[in-house]
Amino acid sequence: MTFVAKETPRGDQRGPAEPLGTFGRYAGPATLILASLADGSKHGYALTKDIEAFAGVRLAPGTLYEALSRLEGQGLIQAMESHDRRRPYRLTAMGAATLRAHLDAQRHVADLGLRRLARSSRSWGPA
Amino acid sequence: MSEGSPAAARRASRLLRWYPRDWRARYGEEFAELLIADIGERPASWRRHADVAISGIVARLIPTGLTGHAIDPADQVRASLASLGCLLGVFLSVGMAMWSQLAIGWQWSEPDATATFAAMVLMSGTMLVFGALAVLAAVPVAWRVATRVAHRQSHGLALPSLLFFAGAAFLVIGSRHFSNGWPGTGGHPWAHQGLVPGGVAAFAWASTLSVSSYWAHPGALASFPATELAWMAASPVAIILLLIGAARTIRRTDLSPRTLRYEAVLARIAAVGMLAFLVGACAWVVNRGFGPRNLFHAGAIDMAGLIVMAAALVVSYRASQRACHGSLGLPDR
Repeated sequence: MTFVAKETPRGDQRGPAEPLGTFGRYAGPATLILASLADGSKHGYALTKDIEAFAGVRLAPGTLYEALSRLEGQGLIQAMESHDRRRPYRLTAMGAATLRAHLDAQRHVADLGLRRLARSSRSWGPA
Repeated sequence: MSEGSPAAARRASRLLRWYPRDWRARYGEEFAELLIADIGERPASWRRHADVAISGIVARLIPTGLTGHAIDPADQVRASLASLGCLLGVFLSVGMAMWSQLAIGWQWSEPDATATFAAMVLMSGTMLVFGALAVLAAVPVAWRVATRVAHRQSHGLALPSLLFFAGAAFLVIGSRHFSNGWPGTGGHPWAHQGLVPGGVAAFAWASTLSVSSYWAHPGALASFPATELAWMAASPVAIILLLIGAARTIRRTDLSPRTLRYEAVLARIAAVGMLAFLVGACAWVVNRGFGPRNLFHAGAIDMAGLIVMAAALVVSYRASQRACHGSLGLPDR
């Protein structure tokens, strides 16, 4: 069993990649990584710093690489050639589509929740 | 490691040991760089240690097929089935010890508690199901192994098969020998009273003699015959060899997608069977209807057995889930 991403990712063979929901407790970190890579390739440390800046979350090294290896295995990100020991990663087309679908679903939930909050604001009890 | 102090590099190198070799070969260098930078920013962090340890253990579990990593669907099914086989072995080692304990009691007198009665019926029925499942699961694998041997393509299968047969032979011969000391009535092909044939119950008792609370009482253990003590120590080794052999054989046998799907369905049924067996065992232990004459007494070892079986069931359910998940990705559906 190897950890090198397959040349033909699973999603290319059998339709869209698995939704991030199947990542279990790594779904959150995976979403943050994909969102970070959406504006260009980054290596591990740059990902940590970027995610910390835009989400206020510092991903621990083990969690970051666990999520990276799952994303790479699913063909959602791709490792790039590197001249030093810090290897950058970039989003694949499938990764971009998955991120878009995931964020659309999250936006739908957020919109719905905010609309309901606005409608029912008078019916809340005291704190 | 280009940057960071030598001390940080050493700490990063130590943390990397949590991961398996092939993971380190793929991600080791870049991960070490990240660790060195992280150690530079937060020199003392127990959370980093815990995070790396957990992630490293998860990475080591990838070959078991129990994690959510994307691996080839056929590999996924084979790995999950192998894991399930090992877990079922652990579950049954403990479960058979409890079941045979009830069988012994029933040889002397029928239980006076409905819960114990129902538990024995449920556990005995489930044992029958397990036997049928074992045969149904083993036939296609044995056939494939035999075909490969006949075509002189048994590379990689010889050692696992040897381990399996050596473990099984040792266990069967030893259990047959030590079942002569069975505390049930014995002597008849079918028990004088009870649900389980005497020979079967005696075999189950002898093969699980090692699952005993006597280990916590060295004084009492010292009074056992030396051969029985040797058997109690050696039989778990035989079970481990048998399970390793079976798991490796499953992993190395190139079963067809159709057969893998069939095996995945059997795995699902086995997980349900484990749940039924555990429910029966719980009914007996929790109800505390130990009569008559305390024949069906459940002790601390049985409580511990329930915990082991529950843990094995939880992981087995995950394994059966992953096997079914992998089978959905197999071609020619």
